[in-house]
Amino acid sequence: MKSAYLLAAAGAVASLLAACSPSGDNGAQTGASDEPRVVNLYSARHYRSDAAVYAAFTEATGIEINLVEASGDQLIERIRADGARSPADVIITVDAARLHRAEEAGLFAQTDFSEFTSGVADYLVDPNGYWVGFAGRSRVIAYSNQRVQPGEITTYEDLADPRWEGRVCVRESGNAYNQSLLASIIARSGEEAAEAWAAGIVANMARPPQGGDITQIIGVAAGDCDVAITNHYYYALMTQSGDVANRAAAEAVTLLFPNQETSGAHMNVSGAGIAVNAPHPEEARELIAFLFSDEAQRMFAEMTNEIPVMPDVEWENPTLDAMMPFVADERNLSELGDNNATAQRIFDRVGWQ
Amino acid sequence: MTAGTHKGFWPDRATLLAILAALVCAAPVFAVAWIALTGQSDDYLLHLARTRLPVYLAYSVYVGLVAAGGAALIGTGLGWLIARADFPGRKLFSWVLILPLAVPAYVAAYAWLDLSQAGGPLQAWTGGLFPTVRGGWGAGLMFALVLYPYIFLLARDAFTGQSADAYNAARTLGAGPVTAFWRTSLPMARPALAAGVALVMMESLADYGTVSYLGAPTLSIGLIRAWSGAGSLVDAARLSLILVAIALVVFSLERMQRRRARTTAASGKHKPAPRLVLTGWQSGLAVLACLTPLMLGLVIPLARLAWLALNELAAPGLIAAAFHSLTLASISALCAALLGMATAYALRGGGFMATASARAAGLGYAVPGAVAAVGVIAILSGTQGLIDPAWEALTGSVFPILLTGGAAALIFAYLSRFAAAAIGPSEAALGRVTPALDGAARTLGASARETLWRVHWPLIAAGVCSAGLLVFVEVLKELPATMILRPFNYDTLAIIAHNYAADERLGEAALPSLLIPMVALIPMIFVARYLSRTRTPSGTG
Repeated sequence: MKSAYLLAAAGAVASLLAACSPSGDNGAQTGASDEPRVVNLYSARHYRSDAAVYAAFTEATGIEINLVEASGDQLIERIRADGARSPADVIITVDAARLHRAEEAGLFAQTDFSEFTSGVADYLVDPNGYWVGFAGRSRVIAYSNQRVQPGEITTYEDLADPRWEGRVCVRESGNAYNQSLLASIIARSGEEAAEAWAAGIVANMARPPQGGDITQIIGVAAGDCDVAITNHYYYALMTQSGDVANRAAAEAVTLLFPNQETSGAHMNVSGAGIAVNAPHPEEARELIAFLFSDEAQRMFAEMTNEIPVMPDVEWENPTLDAMMPFVADERNLSELGDNNATAQRIFDRVGWQ
Repeated sequence: MTAGTHKGFWPDRATLLAILAALVCAAPVFAVAWIALTGQSDDYLLHLARTRLPVYLAYSVYVGLVAAGGAALIGTGLGWLIARADFPGRKLFSWVLILPLAVPAYVAAYAWLDLSQAGGPLQAWTGGLFPTVRGGWGAGLMFALVLYPYIFLLARDAFTGQSADAYNAARTLGAGPVTAFWRTSLPMARPALAAGVALVMMESLADYGTVSYLGAPTLSIGLIRAWSGAGSLVDAARLSLILVAIALVVFSLERMQRRRARTTAASGKHKPAPRLVLTGWQSGLAVLACLTPLMLGLVIPLARLAWLALNELAAPGLIAAAFHSLTLASISALCAALLGMATAYALRGGGFMATASARAAGLGYAVPGAVAAVGVIAILSGTQGLIDPAWEALTGSVFPILLTGGAAALIFAYLSRFAAAAIGPSEAALGRVTPALDGAARTLGASARETLWRVHWPLIAAGVCSAGLLVFVEVLKELPATMILRPFNYDTLAIIAHNYAADERLGEAALPSLLIPMVALIPMIFVARYLSRTRTPSGTG
């Protein structure tokens, strides 16, 4: 019996050694042409359906993808710590503020994206040329079909009106999308007005923040509150859910794209850039080009309900069709990054949990 | 390697290992402290002190106390039942009750909020009477339900190892079973319980996912916001020093009260306490007592997720991820058990270095995983910076990059975070081996190693295995360090579960979430069998 344990221990040590040894071609650029082509992708997207997008890329180009997924801030720290030796080729994050932070950390190489982004709206492209948005998401309002009349609420600014006291559901302010929403209001109306707005929302909250965006929509459907702030694709996810209760909750609310007459609905993106020390810059370019291809854009629309950024993309997704078209806030997304820290402080001051 | 005849053999070697353990555990914390102290300052902390800091601190205390109190209640009660009473299913419960530990607290939180929110099934069935699981008490409750096994394991082993003499004496003197328990058994088990309570408290305070989802803004929320919202990793590191300070206080208190409670009644060859045989409604109550936390912490949340999963396809890559999880957890558990045992021996030998090492090792537990991972990154990139030039000068080639080089960085991170969890149980187990026992063995001519293997090991095996199990399960569900440090294309079950849950696709998160406790079952069965085999012969031998 004792020998069995020794064997087990030896096995563990062997697997530890195997785990410790560097695996595959991570760092050095491969000169030989018969080597398989790879691209190292650091992504803050965590959608399992992305695997299908990456598989399609490999299928189309023969380039294998090495993938690490983590939160945007974590990826930034890891790439920064690896420094010039970082194997990262392409960096993807899902919030404009995170893209801005990676840019400020000097992680991106300046790139001319125009070759494959013709037709993409200017506000989705970093004016300094470090990153580009490839799929959009809007932060919108869901209101109760029973207790709110159409037209009763039309803007983000309305949400802070005392008329909605005790009627608003929204998640905690540590959430990046809430931070970016407030950052957009700072950019548009200034810090003072933004703070007044945030204080108004806190005063109007039906309950302390809890759960994610879907929790807020269910809160409206169940009568805890009358309006909620949510990203558009969570609503789409609910209408497509296998769970009857989720579908019923979605049917009890209407999704409203706010500020259609004024600034446009708040937009955020999944964005990508090429790492400044990319060992495979050519493959990195090909991957980013693929993200703007009809095939990939269509997959974002159909699998994650994201809003394609390329014009004339065709897709089959009735849920997304029902939301389109809408007027988007076309202020450049880089401004969200500029105002993110200020937004966090405002949330702290007004006590938005 | 000579079989020393003097007493110095074990303490020396053990102390070296203890120091190694302390270095592994505390290094990332020191790296974080270095980031905190050398980083640039602005007025963010001042801003925080004026605005949210009091709330963060209040919630930390609130959540920590609810979690520790709840877990202590459940863990001690069940530990006593399993150790000292006999009822149908006792053997099965004795290890099944550990399983809720394999449920990540945030998974339980997702499921319970989904069940109990306005419009959820529980509110519908109770006509809105069922409270929504949220806020400080909700988060504390979640921690109590999934972390009580820490205390249960330690309590079970402590009560099992106790001699029945004191308890019987109390009963003879007219005390009822409850009083006798309260006055004799409980005080004797206190060191083990305190170790468990300290772990539960620190783990609750270092958690981020659960408290942010349920709306209980503790200090770890403050520091993640300083990082992700205000963009200041330096201020996040500074805030985490507050958590380190809290950990130091908690672990010092634990140690202080452990020193006070030197028990003498326990001995190597104690009279096995006869189990209280429960019959009729009593055994029914006992079974109910075991089933309740199992239902609340394991079955109900996972069943809810499974229900939501009915219409979803299985995620791809689950088998590979399960294998990754199993590998990482096994290696970490073995290393941690070794380090924990060595530290326990070092402490037994006494000496300043041993005590200092044990305290330093506890630090790794204090810092939220995401921040600890940043410490690991800082260390690795610092080491890389030192090795690179030397290596290139010597060999002319480039040294492989450490961070992305393999799973070694991950194992390092796990050990730094969880090895402390292995020290408490080992120490508690070793506490039952009285010095007189060593003396007897040595007098009879046993070498130090023989004493360890033939006298100590049978007595401490259960404790050391429990320690390894704890670390195993912790690593299975660990998230932030795994995410940031893993090699390319390396998913674990916890990561897949989290990715779905973070995307609010609870149904698809179900299967990987279900697999985590199932993978945890593998070593549990293994250990349970091993222990039931070793105990009998050595107990009578």
